[in-house]
This record gives sequence, C-alpha cells and structure tokens, in this order.
Amino acid sequence: MKKAAFRNLRLCTKDCLCLYVCPTGATDTEDSIIDVSKCIGCGDCAAACPSGAISMLSTELPPQQKKAENVISYARKLTKNKADEEQIASAISGMVINDGMYRLMTALAKSARLVNEDIMRESGYMLPQSKNTKELLEDLLNDPPAAGFPVDAAKELLRLIKFNE
Amino acid sequence: MKYICTICGYIYDEAKEGRTFKGLPDSWVCPVCGAAKNAFKADENSKPLSGAEASGAAAEAGSDLEADKKNTDNAFSETMAHAGNGAEEEFDEDMKKLSAGELAALCSNLARGCEKQYMAREAALFKEIADYFSTTAPAVPETDIEHLAALFKKDLESGYPELFNEADSALDRGTKRICVWGEKVTNIQSTLLARWEREGDAFLKNAEVWVCSVCGFIYVGNTPPEICPVCKVPSWKFDKIERRYPA
Ligand code: SF4
Ligand code: SF4
Ligand SMILES: [Fe+2]
Repeated sequence: MKKAAFRNLRLCTKDCLCLYVCPTGATDTEDSIIDVSKCIGCGDCAAACPSGAISMLSTELPPQQKKAENVISYARKLTKNKADEEQIASAISGMVINDGMYRLMTALAKSARLVNEDIMRESGYMLPQSKNTKELLEDLLNDPPAAGFPVDAAKELLRLIKFNE
Repeated sequence: MKYICTICGYIYDEAKEGRTFKGLPDSWVCPVCGAAKNAFKADENSKPLSGAEASGAAAEAGSDLEADKKNTDNAFSETMAHAGNGAEEEFDEDMKKLSAGELAALCSNLARGCEKQYMAREAALFKEIADYFSTTAPAVPETDIEHLAALFKKDLESGYPELFNEADSALDRGTKRICVWGEKVTNIQSTLLARWEREGDAFLKNAEVWVCSVCGFIYVGNTPPEICPVCKVPSWKFDKIERRYPA
C-alpha cells in the first residue's frame, strides 16, 4: 500500500537527518510540514530520525470497523444526553457572573463535547473517509437543515476526501 | 484496610493514614484526581486495620464487600436478562435522528480525525460545519444545574452500563474503551457539580480548572496532573480554562 511521511512537529528536535536522506527534498520545507506531493514513500526519513518524529502513513486507509446496530442505538441514547449536557453547561456559563461558576461550566461543556466526540467516533464515524461520513454530507447537502447551513464547506469536503468504501 | 480510587487507582491506606476511610468527611476527595469518596472501592486483598478503633471500620468494610458482591450479582443478572431481549428492544425513529447538538459533536469528531491525518483543510471545513450546528442548536428547555446533575446521573446509572453490556456481547472493545473513559469522566463531572452545590466557589477561587483535551477529564488545581488519570496522556495535553475577568 502506498505510504507517505508525516512529521510530528512536537517531537521533532531538528536534528536534520531527514533532510540528508530524503531523495526528493520533501522533508525540507519552510513550514516544517513534509511535502506530500514530493514524497515517494521510501521511508528513509522515518528510519533516520533519531526522535521518532516521522510516521509513515498509508495514503489509503482500510474501511473502518463495522458496528453492531444495537451498539449504535445505545450509543445514540448517550450522545443525545451528552449534547444536552454540553448545551446546558454552555448556556449557564454564558449567564453567570461568578468566575468560579463560569470556569466550571465552561469546563463541563468542553468535557461533554470531548466525551461525545469519542462516542461518535466509536459509533460509525471513526474515519472521515467512511461511507457513513459521505452519506451524512450528501444528506446535509440534499436537505440542508436551514438556510444558513455552510453548503460550500460540505461540497468541498465531498470533493477533497478520498472515500474508501 | 485499603481503599482504591476507581478513577485513578490511588490507594488510601488506613494503616498509613491513621484514620479510617469511613471517618473521612463527605467533602473529602481523592488527592490525585478529585474523585468523591463514593468512587472508592474497598481492596478485598488488604488486611483490616488492627486495634479497637479500627474494628468498626473493618466491620463496615466487610458489609461494603457484601454490598459490592450483591451489586456485581445484580449487574450480572441484568446482563443476562438483557442479552435475552436486547435484539428486540425497540428504538423509535426519533431516537435515531441526530439532533443539532449531536451533529456538532459528530462533525468536530471528524475534524479531529482529519487533524490526526494531517488534513488541515478538511479539518477546518468540518469545524465550520460543527460550529454551525453548535450555534443553531435549539436551546434545551431546562437550563439549570439540577437538570444537568440529573442527566449525569442517568448516564452513570443506565447510559454507560447499558452501552457497555451491549458492546460486551458484540465483542466491541473500542466501545468498551469509551465506556470506561466516559464513565470516569462523567463521574468527575457529577462530583464537581455536587461539590459546587455543597461548597460554592470556595474550591475554585485559588485554583485553575484544567480539561484533558483527549478524554475530557476535569482537574481542579494549580498545575495539571503529570499524566491524565483517565486516559494517561501527558500533562501538556491539558487545556486551562481561562478566567472570565483576567486580573
Ligand atoms: S530527523 Fe527527525 S528530529 Fe531531525 S529534523 Fe527530521 S523529523 Fe526532526
Ligand atoms: S518517505 Fe522518503 S521521499 Fe518521503 S519524505 Fe521521507 S525520505 Fe523523503
Ligand atoms: Fe485524559
């Protein structure tokens, strides 16, 4: 399967060995992000990097794991609640004067969102490249929830993402 | 007798502390992760504290164990009952339709998925759609702390146990992971809310509030924990909640 190199900027210690070994110059860029269009996926940079900062990622991912219908149904019960929890906490944080309360509610809203994202991830929306994501975007385009819906964003996503199912 | 924090694994050793666990005030919280007293479980392998003062504690701990066993039995029989009729449980169509709030979380989750794959443009677009849903979500009718506390309680009492059972019979360990993490985080959320209702803002005044950007664990203290007690990421993954009125 074709691969491409990606550099984790947080781990990169600028030892520059990847610059020496790359046959195409893909690792040498002004913003430190490896140039995917130049990368031929040889893996030499990842092998040379003393900081373990480069990972070789398949350019085509396998389809995401199938989820049981019942698991998704029970997950939906939780995602409904989590969405309401986030909304209540964020509404309260917008109303209160007390700084402690404000921070607690802001934290609760943020936390509820993170937990909800995780449930979404495990209930059919792990990969942006999945069929589920594609169908969701198409549904939103065919029947936008309201006039203000960012139609262009959905269209661009459908064009950019390499769907894999 | 030893008591173990079910959130972070911290051990309260009565012998070392010189004080029975039962004797601690209800406002006591885990010194590592901030979990409430009721998030602790008696360690079945530890010896009860010897001496007259501790005998009461040991007896109580014994009844705790009994209670625990009962709970486990109950949970087990519920699982069995559930496994029998799980497939027939009806979910109405309304339940399956995603609310704006859910769509916001779904899309910001996909934004994170893109970010991880170094797809910056796609991440920004999903973020845009997520923000659209966040701002247009119709308000929840009861916007108060009691209602929020009731939702947390519902998740802990039925939401997570039900999803965990279902994931278990489907051999879905990914979903079991989010149950383990999410249940701990929800426990902390609920504890913090209870603490607020009991103590007001005293415990927040001179402390920062941190949120683990991976699992959502909330920590109150001056510096974030070295590793997240729930998902084990390092401290730099914690985000500080900024004050409303910077000094
Ligand atoms: S070899 Fe590794 S540490 Fe050095 S510049 Fe390249 S990515 Fe960074
Ligand atoms: S995988 Fe090969 S071509 Fe791609 S950046 Fe690394 S060294 Fe260069
Ligand atoms: Fe975490």
